[in-house]
Amino acid sequence: MEEKIVVIAELSRGRFTRATHEVISFARELGSVGARPEIIIPGKNVRGLAEEIARTSGIDVIGIEAEALDLYSAEPFKSAILDVLKDMNPAYVCLPHSAMGFDLAPGLAVDLGTACITAVEEIREDEKGIYFSRSMWGGKIRAELVPMTQRAVLTVLPGAWTASVEESGIAGSVRVVKADFASGTSEITLMEAPGERESELPGADVIVSAGRGIGKEENLGMIRKLAGIFSRGAVGASRSVCDLGWLGYKHQIGFTGRTVSPGLYIACGISGAIQHISGMKGSQMVIAINTDPHAPIFNIADYCIVEDLTEFIPALLELVETAR
Amino acid sequence: MEILVCVKQVPDNEGAISINDEGTWLTGGAFRMNRFDEFALEEAVRLSEEIPGTGIEAVSVGPGRVVSTLRKAMERGAAAGTHILVEEERYMSPFETASLIASYAKTGHYDLIIAGVMAEDDMHCQVGQMIAAILGIRCATSVIHRGTIREETSVYIEREIEEGQRLRMEVALPAVLTVQSGINRPRYPSLSNILRAKDQKIRTIDASDLWKGAGRDHLISMRRPEVSAKGVFLEGGKDEKARALISILHERALI
Ligand SMILES: Cc1cc2nc3c(=O)[nH]c(=O)nc-3n(C[C@H](O)[C@H](O)[C@H](O)COP(=O)(O)OP(=O)(O)OC[C@H]3O[C@@H](n4cnc5c(N)ncnc54)[C@H](O)[C@@H]3O)c2cc1C
Ligand SMILES: Nc1ncnc2c1ncn2[C@@H]1O[C@H](COP(=O)(O)O)[C@@H](O)[C@H]1O
Repeated sequence: MEEKIVVIAELSRGRFTRATHEVISFARELGSVGARPEIIIPGKNVRGLAEEIARTSGIDVIGIEAEALDLYSAEPFKSAILDVLKDMNPAYVCLPHSAMGFDLAPGLAVDLGTACITAVEEIREDEKGIYFSRSMWGGKIRAELVPMTQRAVLTVLPGAWTASVEESGIAGSVRVVKADFASGTSEITLMEAPGERESELPGADVIVSAGRGIGKEENLGMIRKLAGIFSRGAVGASRSVCDLGWLGYKHQIGFTGRTVSPGLYIACGISGAIQHISGMKGSQMVIAINTDPHAPIFNIADYCIVEDLTEFIPALLELVETAR
Repeated sequence: MEILVCVKQVPDNEGAISINDEGTWLTGGAFRMNRFDEFALEEAVRLSEEIPGTGIEAVSVGPGRVVSTLRKAMERGAAAGTHILVEEERYMSPFETASLIASYAKTGHYDLIIAGVMAEDDMHCQVGQMIAAILGIRCATSVIHRGTIREETSVYIEREIEEGQRLRMEVALPAVLTVQSGINRPRYPSLSNILRAKDQKIRTIDASDLWKGAGRDHLISMRRPEVSAKGVFLEGGKDEKARALISILHERALI
């Protein structure tokens, strides 16, 4: 029997998330070694979505419908998915490495008795098997892992694969099942994160961002001054700086903050963790200032400046001053 | 209420790091507490302030060096520390770490197990969820806000998800929560806590006495990612670099 690769689709506001399409691309690449992708969509009303994705992708789709699958929570999702998986016994179960994916994947793996490898960025294959690469240590290290079990649950790093655009001539099959839950699944509601949503970041041409490497709150002064030399400059931040209370969360850029794509992004004392980079990699030009020549931010910067920012930025500001 | 807090000792990411000759693990460098676990500990301390009689225990899996991180956890307010000893310096499969902590947790009666959302070194985002699955209890990850605990039977939490949104729910206890940074502002340990922690005993348990299974994934190799070809490192002293940068900004009409 042909092996299967299951993709667990993720919905947001009634649509597939971009990350879901990326996982489909990932599964196709993984499937090029002999297994066939299949998509599972858990949700409240999924027939329309199931038919759409089966038509555009040509992949077979199983929808699982239940009231309790409207918004994500681990218990009902896990039991509904396990119920469908038990007849399929797939080689791989793939999810996006999102707030849903990493919440769900490890528990699924424990219950299925398989390995779990998260935030996969690369696949390599040789005669002995398939290997998965992922970042460690904030992106300073790339490690290659292999499951020690026959089967595995994988989460795929958002942005590592391009969303699938392949149109298929033949639509995949669609099957929609109703999940049955004993009462007692708790009430889940969605809310906006409180406060500070208004931000000047979207309109900025240049964003100067502060990371933990600024060392202390007082050094924000020089970051603000640097942003001030540009006509439409704004101050951004890594999550660490917001957690320290040095800047409000409206300044946070990244996976759980804002996504920005200014003409110029200047990263000051930011290591370049994946979760930060995912929010600013669309910038047209990136300048990074960091004392560590191996800081991962330099892997995506156009101009790399290995300097102590507390000395470099004042020197830069002084030169700008004298030129005026 | 009894709380178990998982604290991991990680290499300090500002230090120089090197990969061993076999390319299978890291060598040297300084170590510190995983930052997400500082938030986990602070959350436990806050709960103990809200609910009198709450006990906080910290647990850490790793070689002898992790004892210093357990000591730090006690300075921050844990009343007891347990070290699950794994002698070798090596990669640990998250399933292995979780199985050890879960096996240990079975020996106590914890209402809540609090971990960080992610370890800064291996970045798995797995251990807390696996502990919960092994123990067969509830789990919520990326917890960014916690409300009051109702009669020690459930806790209100908000999970941080994408696009500035949160999911809010009530989680039945016992449960595992993995906390996201920013849930609180960790306090510095007080002098009295530092002094108290000095005399407290840390219990060591040999990993093989707790659990004898095997990890489910294996680390084949480690390398530094290729630096992208597009980046230009500016040369010279800081003033030369500053001048070079200004001319680049002028060329692009940015200033
Ligand atoms: C689920 C999840 C979501 C997340 N979402 C986000 C997000 O949206 N945005 C985000 O930013 N992070 C996010 N993070 C956190 C992320 O993983 C990193 O922890 C964070 O980005 C690190 O911030 P940093 O670069 O400022 O600090 P660090 O990683 O501590 O880096 C500090 C850097 O400053 C350098 N430095 C130190 N001193 C100096 C000096 N004097 N001059 C110059 N350089 C110096 C150091 O070499 C180092 O590279 C998330 C994490 C998780 C688990
Ligand atoms: N060796 C360990 N000892 C104690 N706790 C750990 C260990 N490894 C991971 N954890 C806990 O699990 C969380 C998530 O780790 P990880 O799944 O490795 O990203 C960490 O923030 C810790 O709270």
